[in-house]
Amino acid sequence: MTRWGMVIDLDKCVACQSCTAACRMENNTPVAGKNQADMGRTILWNEVLPLANSESPDASEMLIPRPCMHCDDPPCVKVCPVQATYRTDEGVVLINYDRCIGCRFCTVACPFQVRYFNWFEPEWPEALKAHLNPDPEVAPRPRGVVEKCTFCVQRLRKARETAQAEGRPFSATDYVPACVETCTAHARYFGDLDDPNSLVSQLAASPRAFRLQEEMGTKPKVYYLKQG
Amino acid sequence: MTAIDSKPTSRISRRDFIKVGAATAVAGAGLAALKSADKPLTVQTVPLEETVVKTTCALCPSGCGLNVRVVNGKAVKVEGNPLHPLNQGVCCLKGQTALEVLYSPERIEHPRIQTGERGSGDWKEISWDEALGIVASKMAGLRSSGKAHGVALMHGDLCGEMRQVVQRFMQAYGSPNVISRESLGEDAARMAMWFSQGVNVLPVYDIASANYVMTFGGNLLETSRNLIGYLGAAAFMHRGRPERGKLVAVHPRRSVTGIKADEWIPIRPGTYGALALGMANVIINSGLYDENFVRDFTFGFDDFTDTDGNSHQGFKSLVLESYTLDRVSAVTGVATDVIARVAGEFASNRPAIAVMPTEAGELSSGSALYTALAVHALNALIGSIDAKGGAIVQRFPDLKDWPYYMPDSTALVGGSKERVDGAGTQFPLAISVYQNVPERILAGEPYPLEMLMLLNANPAYDMPNNGRCVEALLKVPFVVSFAPTLDESAAHADLILPASTFLEIWGDDYLEGTGFPGISLRRPVVEPVHDTRDPGDVLLDLAHRLGGPLAEAFPWTSYKDLMLDRLSGFDWKKFEANGNWSQLVYFNAVPGSQAWNEVVGRDRLNAPKDGRFDFFSRELFALLGSDSSQACLPHFEIPSTLADSTAGALEYPFLLVTQPLITQSQEWQGIIPTLEECYGLQGNVKWDSWVEVSQKAADALGLQNNDRVWIESAADRVQAVVRVRAGLWPDAVFLPPGQGHRTLVRWGRYADDNFVVGTNPNALIEFSSEPLTGLAVSGPARVRIYRV
Repeated sequence: MTRWGMVIDLDKCVACQSCTAACRMENNTPVAGKNQADMGRTILWNEVLPLANSESPDASEMLIPRPCMHCDDPPCVKVCPVQATYRTDEGVVLINYDRCIGCRFCTVACPFQVRYFNWFEPEWPEALKAHLNPDPEVAPRPRGVVEKCTFCVQRLRKARETAQAEGRPFSATDYVPACVETCTAHARYFGDLDDPNSLVSQLAASPRAFRLQEEMGTKPKVYYLKQG
Repeated sequence: MTAIDSKPTSRISRRDFIKVGAATAVAGAGLAALKSADKPLTVQTVPLEETVVKTTCALCPSGCGLNVRVVNGKAVKVEGNPLHPLNQGVCCLKGQTALEVLYSPERIEHPRIQTGERGSGDWKEISWDEALGIVASKMAGLRSSGKAHGVALMHGDLCGEMRQVVQRFMQAYGSPNVISRESLGEDAARMAMWFSQGVNVLPVYDIASANYVMTFGGNLLETSRNLIGYLGAAAFMHRGRPERGKLVAVHPRRSVTGIKADEWIPIRPGTYGALALGMANVIINSGLYDENFVRDFTFGFDDFTDTDGNSHQGFKSLVLESYTLDRVSAVTGVATDVIARVAGEFASNRPAIAVMPTEAGELSSGSALYTALAVHALNALIGSIDAKGGAIVQRFPDLKDWPYYMPDSTALVGGSKERVDGAGTQFPLAISVYQNVPERILAGEPYPLEMLMLLNANPAYDMPNNGRCVEALLKVPFVVSFAPTLDESAAHADLILPASTFLEIWGDDYLEGTGFPGISLRRPVVEPVHDTRDPGDVLLDLAHRLGGPLAEAFPWTSYKDLMLDRLSGFDWKKFEANGNWSQLVYFNAVPGSQAWNEVVGRDRLNAPKDGRFDFFSRELFALLGSDSSQACLPHFEIPSTLADSTAGALEYPFLLVTQPLITQSQEWQGIIPTLEECYGLQGNVKWDSWVEVSQKAADALGLQNNDRVWIESAADRVQAVVRVRAGLWPDAVFLPPGQGHRTLVRWGRYADDNFVVGTNPNALIEFSSEPLTGLAVSGPARVRIYRV
């Protein structure tokens, strides 16, 4: 069985935030506006975060892109009282927006703070609605539900359809999420962690590899490679 | 979709689509998902007619190839074009948000004319025919009354043949006044290339093959001219090849480039030139320079005597005498051991590159040209001129000649008049002096300006000069703007001829940043969203309405025709298939070979084209005369604003550093919501401006994060929110540009109408011009900070 995972090489990453923008345009996350942004309610599934290390002598800083970690042991799934959020057989953590009751237990449970709550009906100025991605999986989420990175589940579906239409078996290299496709430094890798020959599984075994908050035991499937 | 001949790629019927879509979307959800199956996840009501259209981005000067996904006539996603040699399938965040430009509610939908007082905002929408009729009759009137030279055109970035079209249009009309925005920054690097290397181009760096890259200025990985190539190259240099290269950033602030570089060297603002010369001192002193190259292919390294028998100091004795480590360290604030170490690393890890700063405010401190010359001299010292992993020269494809036309006497007389910006007269070496235009308009020099056209240019924002720029705009009797949105300058225009976005037009763009020649094709991705037109088409239309030499100069009916004619020598099928044509391989010139004359000395006018790189600029010497020996060598003078003891320094103790961010687009600032929501990565600021202060300054002023403060200079004051930052020169404050535009749309909930996002740091700067080169002197400005 495929187990989707991602590797982000911080030594190659140039913190250009293209992943952030590509994610928004692919997944129809709404514009928050200044008022809501000031309250920390911007919905960016794939934000680049500045981390200052105040303890180091030269006050070093890091810039870390942070998608959903798609944990193998996801705390968000455990706390969901209505089973709206779930982990697929391929290891992707998804949300069934129709079931979500907006209790935000998952938002609190997530150690990586990647889950965003829709405080309002998503709004765009009328003209801007034209560019929304028409794929059904990313139809704008209604008010009162939680949303987050899906590893671009619509792209996975389309890649499978293409393989089927072309009469060939689906391969794990047939699809990448929008952030991986657009990455200006080619710093992101995506693929099957269970395939020992895949690039991601080899990079995940690199001595430079680490995961965020590994000590929490959630087994994230997004690996980082150290800078420098 | 008539303009586009791509094939639909959809293979799957709607019914299959929903079935498969629903099945895979909920796959693995188990019982939980099945229970909610009564309301399907898919609510698709129209079948998807999908195409992918290849075009070329125009949101920054890079010009990347884009694949735009078009569904049912609407553009819905942008990806990089894998068949484009520049971006090779990737796409930066500006390209990603191009659709927010295309469908922006802030776009001007029809031509409009200001009916009330200028700047009052009383607009009336008119037809294109009417609008162009007004412009044409105005221009014809000026031309027949001998005032053709009183028409000026100020422009920002122009793509491909548009650069020539604008020049040709104004020439045939009879005006010398085509004024480029480049003097605000990039001209310094261009001039340095010309006066030293003898080629009049912007430099390109082969970072992917370099072992050591030292960037003077903090924007290499954020807003450099060939950004997308450099982003990929920096990553490749770090992890894409067996030997890891080192990237060093020299900047008063640890910018994103500084964080991602292997080393950040903090430096006192405005002193790059001194550091470069100090490094040259070390390299020469320790004999680490490329002796063969310097001996055979450079000029002015040693002292020499010219043909008139006058002796001149050479580069070597100048830096050995005047730029000793102690002195340079005192000026730049960089420790002597750091200077010595990086100089040694630079010279002994070849191929190495010293990157000239190109952005406004980064090098301008009264000696932008000499700063750039000093930095580029480092490349010559170690033989990195057109070498693999060095500074290379962008080549352009050979297009056929423009058709000849007969200029009439008006065109000849008007074209030979003095330029309104003073380039060539007030500033003998200048190409354009953008920032000087308002002052000259206000002074009525050298003649009153009768009409001004603004193309991709917003001078009222770029250099407000305490309101004088708007005053100057109002003094010009007739101002026409091609602005696609109501920017600060267009608001004070008489007439707006709204430009289409790059996703709606035909166009071409030179491939720049790769070295090898190439052309990238721009084509309409969707039907025009509004009643707008391409400025190229508008200029051609105006030329035909004006008739005479103008109509003769432009025998084409549209810009597309012009472009097809200009590109007729190329394989059109390749253009169609790839969206671009290029040579794909860069051939480095061997010093002394035939090809070498293309990269050294090619564009010299007065100095010999002998294939020698000039440490002592013979071009400058020829232009400035015999008593100018000192002014022909790279040197450094301490700018008066840096002296800490003057009265100004006591009143305004901080030096203002500004540096553009990757999240700002030159032409579409302030209206792209997604860029606003990831605007201030390092300050963690969205929809606002922030001011960075050092810990030392924060302690002295009792400031904390999130305090709101005024930043005040002699010119003006602006407000911003405080971020205390360790990675900043102690006496500097950082305020990013690109904000302070009035938006007209209510972005999001509870937003105020007409709120202003952030502040414009240009307001704090009194723009002036360097006496010789006409380059903008915009920094470092002196400011003080106090709580609101």
